[in-house]
Amino acid sequence: MTARTVLKNEWRLLMADRPLKIALGLFVVLLGYALTNGVVWLRFQERTVEATTSGNVERAAALQQELEAIEAGGQPSSPFADPRSPRVLGGPSGSHTAVLAPGPLTALAIGQSDLLPYYYDVNIYTNEASFQQNGEIENPLNLMVGRFDLAFAVVYLLPLLVLALSFNVLSEEREQGTLALTLSQPVSARSVVTMKLAFRALVVAGIVLGVSLLGALATGGFGSPGRILLWSVTVVAYSLFWFALAAWVNALGRSSAWNATVLVGAWLVLVVVLPAAINAAAGLLHPLPSRVEMVTAQREASNDAVNRRSELLARYLEDHPEMAEGVVADEPGLGALSWAATDAVNGRLEEVAAEHDARRTEQTALVRRYRFLSPALLAQEALLDAAGTGDARFADFQSQVREFAEQWREFFVPAIMADEQMNAGVLADVPTFSLADGDSADLARRATAPLAVLAGLLALIGAAAGVGLGRVRGAD
Amino acid sequence: MIHRIVRKEFTDMIRDGRFRWSAILVGSLLLVSLAHGWVQARKASQEHAAAQATAREHWETQGEKNPHSAAHYGVYAFKPRLALSFVDEGVDPFTGTSVWLEAHRQNDFLMRPAQDSTAAQRIGALTAAQVLQHLVPLLIILLTFGAFASERERGTLRQLVATGVGWRELALGKALGASGALALLLVPAAVAGAAALVVANPGPTASPLARGAVLAGAYLAYFVVFLALSLAVSARAKSSRTALVFLLAVWVVNGLVAPRVAVDLSKRVYPTPSAFEFARTVEREMADGVEDIAPPDRDESTQRLLAEYGAERVEDLPINAVGVYLQESEEFSNRIFDRNYGALWDAFRRQGILQEALAAAAPSIAVRTLSMGLAGTDVEQHRHFAEAAETYRRDLMRQMNGDMTENSLTGDFSYAAGAELWESVPPLEYEAPPLGWVLGNRILSLAVLGAWLAGAVLLASTQVRRAEVA
Repeated sequence: MTARTVLKNEWRLLMADRPLKIALGLFVVLLGYALTNGVVWLRFQERTVEATTSGNVERAAALQQELEAIEAGGQPSSPFADPRSPRVLGGPSGSHTAVLAPGPLTALAIGQSDLLPYYYDVNIYTNEASFQQNGEIENPLNLMVGRFDLAFAVVYLLPLLVLALSFNVLSEEREQGTLALTLSQPVSARSVVTMKLAFRALVVAGIVLGVSLLGALATGGFGSPGRILLWSVTVVAYSLFWFALAAWVNALGRSSAWNATVLVGAWLVLVVVLPAAINAAAGLLHPLPSRVEMVTAQREASNDAVNRRSELLARYLEDHPEMAEGVVADEPGLGALSWAATDAVNGRLEEVAAEHDARRTEQTALVRRYRFLSPALLAQEALLDAAGTGDARFADFQSQVREFAEQWREFFVPAIMADEQMNAGVLADVPTFSLADGDSADLARRATAPLAVLAGLLALIGAAAGVGLGRVRGAD
Repeated sequence: MIHRIVRKEFTDMIRDGRFRWSAILVGSLLLVSLAHGWVQARKASQEHAAAQATAREHWETQGEKNPHSAAHYGVYAFKPRLALSFVDEGVDPFTGTSVWLEAHRQNDFLMRPAQDSTAAQRIGALTAAQVLQHLVPLLIILLTFGAFASERERGTLRQLVATGVGWRELALGKALGASGALALLLVPAAVAGAAALVVANPGPTASPLARGAVLAGAYLAYFVVFLALSLAVSARAKSSRTALVFLLAVWVVNGLVAPRVAVDLSKRVYPTPSAFEFARTVEREMADGVEDIAPPDRDESTQRLLAEYGAERVEDLPINAVGVYLQESEEFSNRIFDRNYGALWDAFRRQGILQEALAAAAPSIAVRTLSMGLAGTDVEQHRHFAEAAETYRRDLMRQMNGDMTENSLTGDFSYAAGAELWESVPPLEYEAPPLGWVLGNRILSLAVLGAWLAGAVLLASTQVRRAEVA
């Protein structure tokens, strides 16, 4: 009996099994729906990214035009929004939007991209408080429930399909009395089960990877082959884990009904209960520092700084320059004085934020260790990372924006302190944000741990199944 | 006869190792999640109360300054945790916890706790609500999928029927037996929950105990739906295995697939703008006005005041014309905010209603909606607080601008008000909506859950009667 015979017969059996065909068909429909959801979301983000980019261009062009008009002897549109002033040119009206392009495989996994901010308006007033903003506008109810994307289908539903296909791979033969017959041929139970499961794995992985590649093809994700590879490896490793588990349970030689109960129980524990329990334990053992306390600390930081400034008038005029009727707008040194206060606030905010972030990083690192307990969490992490919608990419983006804001200040603040005016010539030199997306080495480094553990689990259970199947005899 | 059936079923179940272990697992998860939720809610509640008090102190001790500078300084509002939020944290991790109430702007709620967590924490939070909505139904299925099917397989169903017991009695007996076993698990949890509610700082919830009682009723109805469905399937299934597979499929669709499918569907039917687009729209409308909402004209406002007071120059006015203008701008921007935020909240509401309607395919959506509503952690109650905070902001701005108008002259920047004015502003005191308001918002979910209850019980009573003995 060759592999070809087994595969051919398995195909016939599959085609004859109506409920199984219905389940497979339903799975394909759900995957299709998941993919279209991802594509709709990706297009939505792409439109926003485009709008921010053209906004940057339009703002710069308008400032350029006004500066050139002033140099040709014109008047600024308002004496308080004179673009020659570095506080205006580098301030909110001249700000540059730093944006994170959607992850290359966002259509496959929406991940954190509906929760975390993917663009920031950067200007000289950008400080730690600017990073405390919401991401995309989203109904909190939708955030709570989560989206129906391919990553969800892979993590939750794929194991169920795998188990439906393989819970009785050996027990059924025994129950039908065909096991003895099969094993009377020169084959071992191990090789029969392996071939049967290999066929099923081909079907499942073929469907999931087919839909994934279709999604990548439709959204230009082929630009990042490393990510597609990581995605595919994760999908295959995760489904093989479940096939191996089914093989192991089958090797125990119990009835199909018993296998089904145990495997569904395992799915429940590994996919549903364990992640929830891990999250609860993590929240209990390593609570995140409260943001509420941070608001108060920030407020006190800025109070101190503002109170140190004697000129409340300056503060008032800063808020409402148009109310000053031109009386004191040109008061020398006002800009430098005001910047000194802003700078003091920023310094205190950074201290408060740094303390908070340090505690948060520490807690998150502790929490992340627990993910090794659940293959579902490992798969989720690797899938989101591959898609570019995981936590790491957003954190990286935020730190790049921090650096960019620093560059921006370095460009404008010296002129503010020196009370200098700027001209159209400087616009070409104003810093612009360009994302340095982590290279594939970074991605590979991050993916190593979850994939290694997943592979380890697979090897362990596969070995147990192999040993168990080696003991199976035709007549028992 | 019926009490014998009940006793037999009950004894069977509590002697069954599978039930014992799964009940212990679910029961302890339920108690742990209740305790965890309670500790978290209490901590958050204390933090928020403390932060709110500090915010008030900051406001009162901000020192002497122009009232409009004080308006810019503003206050922070912190969303209070309601008493029942320990059972169901609902959307709270995904809504901001605090909002800055300042001049000219309606700000968003910032600091969503979920933004600080990791992606892993989005695929399963262990709250009492999650256990009740997902794990208890599973336990019910495991308890009852074999109620008729296994007896049929063992051949004992024929004997039972031969004793002359009616199908209705038999079904009721089995249902009550399973309920008794479940009660061993749920009653202590309910008692612990009620005790926690009494001990807890009640927060600004109107009638927490009444809310708790309705909450318990909603979950009870949800459990009966599963119990009845499971009995009906068990009565008609070819084998206990078929019954189990079918019920598990129902469970997966109900708890995992349908809620997410509904989210994406509701987003497609009622799309929301991007944050970027929203901000730009508000900015544009604030600058140019929109439709019949026109930005206030400073010259016109000054001319009107001059005519009203019979003055020649603004310096001669007995009031501060700038204060009047600032308040006019405030009224204008309020209309812009109402227009834009109103549309956004309405889109959220429509998405929510569509999802509630889709509970016709999955009762978990109905019970989830009711649970969050009663716990005070749904989107509607977030909006209720957001609107209370915004109303407070508008009153605050009116008082500040009014004081500036009355007590200083146009062009006078030296006027400074002090603690007396700051203290005259009442603190933000939020009152959560009453139970009737919550239920009024949730009529659809009540109706759908009711329909599921009636449908499932009807199905059970008709299917059990048609069950085959062998």
